Amino acid sequence: MQHERPTGPVPASALTLSDALSGEAVAGRPALDVAPRPAFNLREIGDDFVRGVWRENGVFKQMLGLCPALAVTTTAVNGMAMGLATLAVMVASSSSVSIIRNWIPGSVRIPSFIVIIATFVTVVDLFLNAFAHDVHKTLGLFIPLIVVNCIVLGRADAFAARRSLPRAIADALGVGVGFTLALIALGAVRELLGMGSVFGISLFGDAYPPFLLFLLPPGAFIALGLMLAGGTYLAALSARGN
Amino acid sequence: MVAALMAVCIAGAVVLAWSDRITSGPIAEQKRREVVRSLTAVLPPHNNAPDQDMSTVVLDDGTEQTLYLARMEGQWVGTAVPVTAPDGYSGNIDLMVGVDRNGRLTGVVVLSHAETPGLGDKMITDEEWLPAFRGRTLENARWAVKKDGGDFDQFTGATITPRAVVNAVRHALEVCEKVCR
Amino acid sequence: MAGELALIALSAMLVNNFVLARFLGVCPFLGVSRKMDSAIGMSFAVLFVMTVASVVTWLVQRLVLVPFNLEYLRTITFILVIASLVQLVEMVVQKTSPVLYQALGIFLPLITTNCAILGVALLVVQKDYGFLQTLTFAVAASAGFGLAMVLLAGLRESLALAAIPRAFQGNAIVLVTAGILSLAFMGFSGLVRG
Repeated sequence: MQHERPTGPVPASALTLSDALSGEAVAGRPALDVAPRPAFNLREIGDDFVRGVWRENGVFKQMLGLCPALAVTTTAVNGMAMGLATLAVMVASSSSVSIIRNWIPGSVRIPSFIVIIATFVTVVDLFLNAFAHDVHKTLGLFIPLIVVNCIVLGRADAFAARRSLPRAIADALGVGVGFTLALIALGAVRELLGMGSVFGISLFGDAYPPFLLFLLPPGAFIALGLMLAGGTYLAALSARGN
Repeated sequence: MVAALMAVCIAGAVVLAWSDRITSGPIAEQKRREVVRSLTAVLPPHNNAPDQDMSTVVLDDGTEQTLYLARMEGQWVGTAVPVTAPDGYSGNIDLMVGVDRNGRLTGVVVLSHAETPGLGDKMITDEEWLPAFRGRTLENARWAVKKDGGDFDQFTGATITPRAVVNAVRHALEVCEKVCR
Repeated sequence: MAGELALIALSAMLVNNFVLARFLGVCPFLGVSRKMDSAIGMSFAVLFVMTVASVVTWLVQRLVLVPFNLEYLRTITFILVIASLVQLVEMVVQKTSPVLYQALGIFLPLITTNCAILGVALLVVQKDYGFLQTLTFAVAASAGFGLAMVLLAGLRESLALAAIPRAFQGNAIVLVTAGILSLAFMGFSGLVRG
């Protein structure tokens, strides 16, 4: 499961939003094939799922969807809640987009997708408010802002709009799970350093002097930066070991 | 092409109208339960429903202030005053303050805030801080944090939050002093 | 009144800086800050769209959503307003000022998915701002966004020449730099009181 990471400066193309929206965010990867295929291929579907979870992880590899990733991850639980809300929106909107993909003319593609995504975001927003009120209060503004999470629109436009329903669902699930795991990881690191606990369970007892910086805004940037550096370092180590 | 976009919009609107119908009841209920929970926490023992026993007074500066009245066997026993501390470290802190008929504080709870986790939010996580307000009146305490020569603790590294809360609670007491008796 | 507006401006620009304290607009903040000119171009595009969008969404909220009890359509109408506005601005700028289009053109499509724009529109509703307050808030928020952008772009241009440990090369060092910038902005927090 070790994949090569670029160790040099990441090319400019790996960072911009337009690339995410056009579906080619990872430099040097061959373009996704657009040709029609037999409808149901289990291996392909599995691959669609796995690719989103790790190889093309939105947060760690493509630096997308960072606003919610940095803002709500003061604890692992908050990160998980945000991740699951986004996952639900992704699966619903990617499957809708895939179902209607042949009826939407190219010129109104993006507006239609935005309407679809905004609809599901509002549904999630309303249902969380009604049945998980505390979660809704914690995530606050960042629930409606799922609409402008570039990962959601990016996957709908670059993948679901050109693929069969099962593949679109697999991709949305994969990318959504990848996003959720990334938020849990970032939340766990910040919670561990900032409060000495993970998922609310104290690991060191009162002996741990909390490193508050990691709960504050600067700590979010720094924690993610350190995690990326750590990942690069480990990848380099294992490459040397081989 | 416009037809396709219209169809998507209409479908979206239908889904949303349906979700709103399903959730509007529970959302209102959640909000009501939140108010009731805070009222039960701050008011002295009562057997009416204070969330329905409301009155509105106009203060000297022209702002309207909602009051919730607690009664025991029809007899007025206390008042809950929702107040906002506008000068928290990061935005407003909404509080519910309970006062009995003698002008003594019976409880303070925080309804919503955006204070820094680990610093300002100690007002909630420190289990002794808010209860320390109980029994205080306008006369029997110096209404400031200790750093400013008052009676209330500040937190290490966070003075702004306690200062804002202390001021807001005193404001609630002053409102009561004027209109409740 | 003027004092209150000044407070809103100061708070949105420095104390609660949109990017560095509220995490709104982080994607373009990290994505388009490689070069100083693109950072400046993006900042002006955001200033323009954010100001117009917040005024239009404020009107939509006051004149349509609240009177007709349609507040559950807020997210969907706001994002549609922003998306169409961006399109409109793009067309107008292209027709009237080729020079401006050259400078801002490539940034405009990216702005639709800039969460700072939708964020301002939603925060204005949440804070129940009046018209002047909304205008001040939007201009100050985009000024804060631009300030953070330009600062990071300047730092990154120097970083390009620095010897950076291998593990930190690429995005890691940019994030740590942004973190330190955010730490510096926390120093403004005592500025606005009362």
